[in-house]
Amino acid sequence: MSDSKNSTCDEQAFNQFFKSHAKLLRSYLYYKFGDLDQAEDIVQDSFIKLWNNCAKVPLDKAKSYVYTIATNLGISIARHQQVKFKHQKYITQRKSDVTNESPEFVMLEKEYMEKLKNAIADLPDRQREVFLLSRIDKKTYREIAELSNVSVKAIEKLMHKALVTLRKKIGNI
Amino acid sequence: MFDDKKDDIFLSRWVNGDLSPEELNEFQSHPEYEYYMKILAGADTLDLTEYDVDTALRNIKSNKQTSSNKTSKPVIKLWPYLAVAASIAIIFGLFLFNTNDSFATSYGEQLTVILPDGSEMILNAKSEASFDKNNWDANRNISLEGEAYFKVKKGSKFTVTTKNGDVSVLGTQFNVQSQASFFEAVCYEGKVSVTSKQENTILTAGKAYRNITNTPPEHWTFVAQEPSWITNTSSFRSVPLHYVFKELEDQYNISINIKNPDININTIYTGTFPNNDMNIALKTVFSTLGLQYQLLQNGKTVVVEN
Repeated sequence: MSDSKNSTCDEQAFNQFFKSHAKLLRSYLYYKFGDLDQAEDIVQDSFIKLWNNCAKVPLDKAKSYVYTIATNLGISIARHQQVKFKHQKYITQRKSDVTNESPEFVMLEKEYMEKLKNAIADLPDRQREVFLLSRIDKKTYREIAELSNVSVKAIEKLMHKALVTLRKKIGNI
Repeated sequence: MFDDKKDDIFLSRWVNGDLSPEELNEFQSHPEYEYYMKILAGADTLDLTEYDVDTALRNIKSNKQTSSNKTSKPVIKLWPYLAVAASIAIIFGLFLFNTNDSFATSYGEQLTVILPDGSEMILNAKSEASFDKNNWDANRNISLEGEAYFKVKKGSKFTVTTKNGDVSVLGTQFNVQSQASFFEAVCYEGKVSVTSKQENTILTAGKAYRNITNTPPEHWTFVAQEPSWITNTSSFRSVPLHYVFKELEDQYNISINIKNPDININTIYTGTFPNNDMNIALKTVFSTLGLQYQLLQNGKTVVVEN
């Protein structure tokens, strides 16, 4: 591989890098800060920053670079506006899972899903982050641990806690 | 339920399929199992609205060409504006709040200043006064160097601050003279209080106070209606001669050179001289002292011989 291929200044390399990381970064920021539109804005700003500084950031450092920038941006925004986790227009249900149910069952499911989503929105930030990265983005505990620079064990504990918290919130439906 | 378990990652392992067959069996027969199963099943149907990666990439491409500032967050963009706003505020503040008005007279000048409350201040030659006009109602305070005559309207405490002491009144007419080592307050009407470094004293109409460094403070009475300099006459009552010379210098912008070392500039002098005719003034002062003087060609220097 030539030098330019290793650099984020290379257009191809940059595009490739964006396509393989933008989606997860967007989810990560959304779960962390609660607003998906805002998360997409931050993703865009972070990658623009990466591009503008591409000469200083080699490809193998680029991932932690954009995650750091994005997280800092998110924090500085969150400091100014308290965002409650928004799920209404962002979290949907996979169509295939509901089509075959009888109408009555779907009704009950809808009610249950509403309750579940609210309970997830009310989770402590870190628990929600881990739970959704695991369930929606299908990330392994190891992958999640790498994103936020903590141990796998810490992620497993958060996941366990998240389930216990949800169970308490939802009650016996 | 499971928060009291020793194993604080039990549910994580279950989600991951990492439980041993025995553990799983035990859990499945547990009444809580179906609830956790339902949560997990429900959560697994959740999805996030689609992310159009290509559009997002195109957005970045179009943005990065111009400038990253265009899309950066308002928190960041705010700073330059804040800085500009702050600078403007500071500049404004300097003009707005630095409202000290100051007045100065040069040699031989007099200046009548009407203060914000209608009180009058008449500055004698070579004097300087300043005050804060915005804060005048709350704080009638004037800093003075030199000599001025005040006609004060009734109101709150009116204070003249000088290096040698303060004179304060409620509503009256008085004269304050403060030179390097000379401090004199003369009250023409009403009552003034004088606070000098040496003492506090109350002057009523017709009373005067003077303090010359190295001599004891003096009190005396008089009958004038206003200071003589208002009507262009400088008058002295038992004043060391060098203050008289100083006044001549201030009124006529001349310098007085004393050639003869025998002349005692601390001689006590009582008398007057006009402020609008230099020749008469010089003649008046020096002839009464029996001194010869000479006005040099430049018209600015007076040489005194015996």
